[in-house]
Formats: sequence, structure tokens, C-alpha cells
Amino acid sequence: MTTMDTTERIQPPESVAATAAELPVVHAKPEGSVSVWFTHSLIQCKRLLMVWLRDPSTTIQTIAYPAVTLLMFRIVLGDSITAATGIPSIYGQAALLTLVAAMTGAVVSALGFKREKAAGLLSRFYTMPLNKASLLTGRLLAEALRILITTIIVLLVAVPLGFLFMEDPLTNIALIFVPVLFGLGFAVMVTALATITEGVMLISLIGILNTLLMFFNTGFVPVFAYPTWLQDVVANQPMSCAIDAMKGLSYGGPVAEPLLKTVAWTVGMIAVFAYPAIVGYKKAAETS
Amino acid sequence: MSVSAPAASTLFAELPEVRPSSFAQWRALTGRIVRTMATKGELVVAVLTPLVVTVAFYLPLRYVMKVQGIDYAQYVMPIVVLQTMAMTMMSNAQLAAFEALTGLSTRLQTMPIGSLVPLMSRICAGLVRSVVSLIATVGYGYLIGFRFTGGWLQALAFCGFALAVGIVLTLGADALGSLTKNPEALSQALTLPILIFGMMSTGFVPEASFPAWVRPFARNQPISQFAHTLSDMAAGHLSWAGTWVSLVWLGGLAILFLPLAVWASVRRS
Repeated sequence: MTTMDTTERIQPPESVAATAAELPVVHAKPEGSVSVWFTHSLIQCKRLLMVWLRDPSTTIQTIAYPAVTLLMFRIVLGDSITAATGIPSIYGQAALLTLVAAMTGAVVSALGFKREKAAGLLSRFYTMPLNKASLLTGRLLAEALRILITTIIVLLVAVPLGFLFMEDPLTNIALIFVPVLFGLGFAVMVTALATITEGVMLISLIGILNTLLMFFNTGFVPVFAYPTWLQDVVANQPMSCAIDAMKGLSYGGPVAEPLLKTVAWTVGMIAVFAYPAIVGYKKAAETS
Repeated sequence: MSVSAPAASTLFAELPEVRPSSFAQWRALTGRIVRTMATKGELVVAVLTPLVVTVAFYLPLRYVMKVQGIDYAQYVMPIVVLQTMAMTMMSNAQLAAFEALTGLSTRLQTMPIGSLVPLMSRICAGLVRSVVSLIATVGYGYLIGFRFTGGWLQALAFCGFALAVGIVLTLGADALGSLTKNPEALSQALTLPILIFGMMSTGFVPEASFPAWVRPFARNQPISQFAHTLSDMAAGHLSWAGTWVSLVWLGGLAILFLPLAVWASVRRS
């Protein structure tokens, strides 16, 4: 080791020289390699999940709010809707609230991204020998895991309110992964918007959009309850497709068509927003 | 600094004598908030949010309520109006928290300003926002088929009562904002009560739709009572029997919130 030269001049105590000599030699892998990308993504993912877990407001917004809203919807509207439509309302409402949890989570996460940018953490990451793509993929992985957790919690809250799972375990696994599929597309979109717009604008923009989407989908009330001119829009918006797929996987009904539409929406959103998200992320890290 | 003592005493001699006027201060501080609202797009949000709420409540539930024989446009507008007032409450809580957080409130306390002037200016600016929102809301209501059928006197009573509810809620929110100094946490903390009191209300769906165990709460909680009073006023059925519970609630909340808001605003921290 080259440090041997300096030790002769500085003359440190024997013990220090001995420890230094025993340090393992680290062979750094190139940042761009696939295995480094994979490991770094996992590290970023773990970091974000721990940040969210330790922040009570994230937990409250992504878990407590959807659960309480589901309870409200069931108590206030459940019986009216069931009586008016003949279909138990809880299946649509539970599916709706899993998606709302995914969307709220994406917004909270985008605000966290803003904070990390403002605090300089992002640019700090960019100066370190870590895989640059892992910042984005780690975030998306963390989003997916968070959605998985909130989905399971919302569905478990729905059970005492009258929600029944199918018997087939594979169907239930598919059921839980529909919100993840939907949420990934939404998260890419929110990330792209978060890198472009300012924080306050982002909240009011997505807040108004979320309110509208939350009331105009097939989970709130079935599609035929909406005015005729609105039915096509309501039935084909991304949340409705995911909700219909989840209804099919829990209450029964067509699955293939709404599921394909959900996939189409997700692929479409990723196709449109992935490039702005990547560019925006890079720009945010370099200029902050 | 070579300015000598005699020069300092004559330095301000030519300036006019200061006569602090609480009214002028109130006007200046209120104007400041209202100008910000007008130029930063907050008034646009105050006009658009009631539209979103009206459309979001009315269109999906119209059919479900028609099955139960209810004209939902007439039924739901009072709760939309109250929801609008809750929005003002939310904005005012944010404003008070922001002024306390950034130190403006403390700074105003050190200046020769009437101690209640900052509070009054926030409340009055909130009233401006409420009036704008209320006009917009009633307009949207007329678009979906809501009508005042009790004459203009009761229509005015409707607006007056709605604004009174807004002011009382704003007082409470202002106190919370001044005390917590945390706009973010406050908006999260207020979302849940707005959701619970707004939705678990007989102004949103009829009492018979609720499960039996929750009906006593849904029927008697203040927002339901306010909604019923407003709907009576809109239909021209205003009566003492249907109003006194609302007035007791409103008076009770005012007795609670007014001293709290004053204390939170004038105390030195």
C-alpha cells in the first residue's frame, strides 16, 4: 500500500499502523454496471421506505386517511348505493380507496423529492460514485412496495365492512397487484410533474385532479348512475379501468378487458412521462 | 457616526406627528392580504373549488338520490356551501400559521398597532374570500337546478347565516394556526374533521341512509343542523323550531372560538 511511505514520516503509534494495514482492499465496480444499479436501487428503495415509515404525516396520509375515507363512504353512501344499484358498494369503494392511497402516496413522495432537492441531498448523490439511474428506479421500487402495503391495509379494513376475497390465492395476488400497476404509471407522471413545476402549484394541480377523479369513477357509484354524456369518460378513465379489474377479481365480472385497459393506461403514462421524469431528475440533481 | 446629540433631536422635527389609527391599520393589513389573494391566484381557486365540489357531489349521486325520491340539487347545496366555508377556514388557518411561523405576528406585536388589528384583518380578508366563494357557489347551484323559493329576505338570511358559520369556523382555525405555527401539519389535521363532519351529515344524504348506530351523531352534529337551517331558508320554511338548535351550536362555537382566537393572537410567545 502507498500509505506505507507516509507512515515513516509521520510516525503514528504502532496500533494505528497495524489496523490500517488490515483494512480490506475495495475493488470498486463501475457505476454503470447492472449489478451496481441493482444494489443501489435496493439501497435507495430502503432509504425511502425508512424515511416514509419514520415520518408520521406520510403514514397518516397514505394509510389512515384512505382507511377513514373508506369507512365514511361505506357508512354514508354504502346502503344508498347498494339499494339503488343492487351491487354491494364495498367492492367498488375498497378498490377506489386502494387507488386513492396509491395516488396520495405518490404526491407525498413527490413533495419529499422536492425537499431532498432543496436540501441538496440530490446533488450530493450526484457527486458520489453511485449509479445515477438507481435514484429513479429505487424511488419507483419504493413506491411499488408502499402501494402494496397500503393496498393490503385498505382491503383488510374493507373486510369487516363486507368485502370478501375470492377463494383462489392467485386471484387475490392479481387483485393486490392491480393498484401497484396503476400506481407505477401515476408515480412516473407525478415525478415528471414534480421535477418540472413548483411545489405549491403541484399540490393544487394534483389536488383538484385527484378530487375530480375520486368522484368520477366506477368505484364511487356504478357507471350507469352518471349522466349519459359523461358515462364514456367515467368508464374509461384510468382509475375506473383498474377498479373494474379489481371488482372482477373480488366480486366477479369481466377481468381481461379492464385489466388490459389498465395495462394500456400504465404503459401509455410511462411512455409519455418516463423521458421527462428522467431528464427532470437529472436536471434537478445537477442544478439544485 | 459623527451625528451629535442636538442634531439627532431635530432630525425628525420636520416629520408630521404620528397619529396611529387602528382603522387605517386594519385597512392596510386587510388590503395586503386581499391583494395577495387577488394576484397570487387564490381567488381563482376560491371560485373554482366550489365548482369541483358541486360537480363532484351532484353528478355521481343524483341518480342514487332520485331512486330515494330526492331532488339532490336542492338537497346538497347547503352542504356544498358549508364545504366552501370550510375551504375558507382552511386557508385562514394556513395564513395565520404562516404569519406566526415567519415572525410577522411577533413583529406586528412590537409595533404601535392595535392588538386585535392583525386578527381582525385576517378574519375580514377571510370574509372577502367567503363572499367570493359563496357567490360562485350559489351561481353553480343555479346551474344544476338549485333555487331560492322563499323570497329575497330568506335568501339573504341564507347568505348571512352561511357567512356567520364561516366567520366562526375561521376564528377557530385562526387560533389553531397562531398556536401551532405549522401550515403543513395543520392542513393535514383539518382534513379529517372536514371529511367526517361534512360526510357524516344528514345534509349530505338523508338520515335513513345511515346505519342506525350512527344516526344520532349524524342528525345532531353542528354541520347537519347548519345544513338543515340553510335548506329551510332556501326553501322559505324558516322557523324558530328549525333554527334554534343551529343558533345554539353557532353561539356555543363562537363563545369557544372567539376568546381562543383573541388569546392566541395577542399573547406574547
